[in-house]
Amino acid sequence: MYENRNELVEESDMGPKRRLITDTFKVVKRAKKEQKKDKEPTAQEKKEPEPLPLTQREQDLLELRQFDLDWRYGPCTGISRLQRWERAELHGLKPPQTVRELLLGRGEETEYTHSLWHDLPL
Amino acid sequence: MLVQVRITEQLSTIMFSDLTTQKEGTLMGQPSAECPVFDRVPPTNSSYSERFKLGERSFSRQYAHIYAARLMQMRDILSTRAKQTWGEHVPVRRLCDLQMGEQCCIVGTIFKHMELQPSILKEISEEHNLLPQPPRSKFISPTDELILEDELQRITLEGNIDTPKFVTGSVIAVFGAEKNDGKFTVEGFCMADLPPQAPRQTLSSDRFVLLASGLGLGGSGADSLLGLQLLVDLVTGQLGDLGEQDRASQISRVLLAGNLLSQSTQDKDSFNKAKYLTKKTQAGSVEAIRMLDELLVQLVASVPVDVMPGQYDPTNYTLPQQPLHRCMFPLSTVYPTLKLASNPYQADIDGVRFLGTSGQNVADIVKYSSMEDHLEILEDTLRLRHMAPTAPDTLGCYPFYHKDPFILEDCPHVYFSGNAPAFQSKRIAGDDGQEVLLVAIPDFSRTQCACLVNLRTLECEPVRFSSFSADDNEDNEMNISH
Repeated sequence: MYENRNELVEESDMGPKRRLITDTFKVVKRAKKEQKKDKEPTAQEKKEPEPLPLTQREQDLLELRQFDLDWRYGPCTGISRLQRWERAELHGLKPPQTVRELLLGRGEETEYTHSLWHDLPL
Repeated sequence: MLVQVRITEQLSTIMFSDLTTQKEGTLMGQPSAECPVFDRVPPTNSSYSERFKLGERSFSRQYAHIYAARLMQMRDILSTRAKQTWGEHVPVRRLCDLQMGEQCCIVGTIFKHMELQPSILKEISEEHNLLPQPPRSKFISPTDELILEDELQRITLEGNIDTPKFVTGSVIAVFGAEKNDGKFTVEGFCMADLPPQAPRQTLSSDRFVLLASGLGLGGSGADSLLGLQLLVDLVTGQLGDLGEQDRASQISRVLLAGNLLSQSTQDKDSFNKAKYLTKKTQAGSVEAIRMLDELLVQLVASVPVDVMPGQYDPTNYTLPQQPLHRCMFPLSTVYPTLKLASNPYQADIDGVRFLGTSGQNVADIVKYSSMEDHLEILEDTLRLRHMAPTAPDTLGCYPFYHKDPFILEDCPHVYFSGNAPAFQSKRIAGDDGQEVLLVAIPDFSRTQCACLVNLRTLECEPVRFSSFSADDNEDNEMNISH
């Protein structure tokens, strides 16, 4: 123990190089603090949009994407969402009526009419 | 002249076996003053289905849709059928809910894994340094295995199921249990079986529909042309004695089921040769279409004719084949009696529902299953409730997404396929009183044979014109020696 202390003292006496270690330790601690600080603002950031409700458009698109990803209604690539909805209706799978209303309510916007893989080639 | 007389005598015994009323002496007798006229039976009221007409043609889709739609359409039918077969309480599971060892029923699409199935990827894989495969007529092997797929998963089938008989794309229900090795041991299976059938009108008199396929115009063998001309003359009432002409007037419609042109008109020589060599040569199909037009004009002047395209005819390749374009028939298209129909063909003729193809679907199943007999395959596709299960796997098919048009929603009265190696026909009866006439229409250029369906009784009989063919010794009554 004592030896160790002596060594430490000696080391500290050796010059500023050893101080760098402590510096690094401190830096690590600071870094941790900083991370915590970082987390806090991210959490705040997350919290911030929560009170703000999703815009109507975002909600709609979310629902449409959920519809795309429902495997019961068959593959969604290559056809429009309305075509897929109508196929599901034809075969008695009872697709959600709200999806149809959303699709009919909007015009020719590709983001609405086509599935989420629309931009990707086949 | 003598040749013709002999031929018609032979015809009379076959074609009108139950109706023969040959009037003695009408042919060789004195010409009489009055000239009997046989009026053709009035045109039938027929309605054509637009089921196989394509509106928009978009090829941007993948084939996953057609399998998805097929399973959507068939699942309920098969679940009900499974409950009828294995009891009301049999659990019908999806593959994702399958419990190990539990006896249950699953509904899905068959995929037959075939080692010998030609694959473009195999052919171009240069690393394998493959030898060119010998041309095969069948692609089945003992190592084939059946895999059942539903919307999400697949499972290998084993046990009580006849692997070589099945083809990819058939939707069936199987009963059994999943074993430890992850395979499904099948105890029994069932198909959708015959769809419900609308009742047929009862006709008061005999009326015939003549079915022929594989005219093979433009081919190398000219011997089929005599037979073909005799066929036309028979239908138009220019053959035989008064009794036969009277019978011929009862033919109310002629249906030509594909392959009007010969395969040799599709000769690809012009693509391989240098342009300057083939500059002035005409495609073989041009002359053949002109001959077809000349044949058709004789027929349509006398009787309604429905023309379906086939594998070698100048229309699209993928099923459903769209009608031949009317501009190819400048002579016959002016008659309202010419109907250019699609392949598959569906029409109600005098209340009798006809449904059938030019035979590509059956020929494809011959290649990919152990079945050889066209009639057996025809019956099998009817029981599967699907005309062309191998489309789109090995048979060209339009990428449908909405529904699969090849699923039989209601049962036809006459279910046919063209270009068979021989004439065959059979009546089958369903559990719910359905009555179907299955007809394999022979390839005319090879067999010189067509067939007549009686719309009143749903009976079918062949009409043979084999005149100078080499292979028939028993009926060479009209040999050249005469």
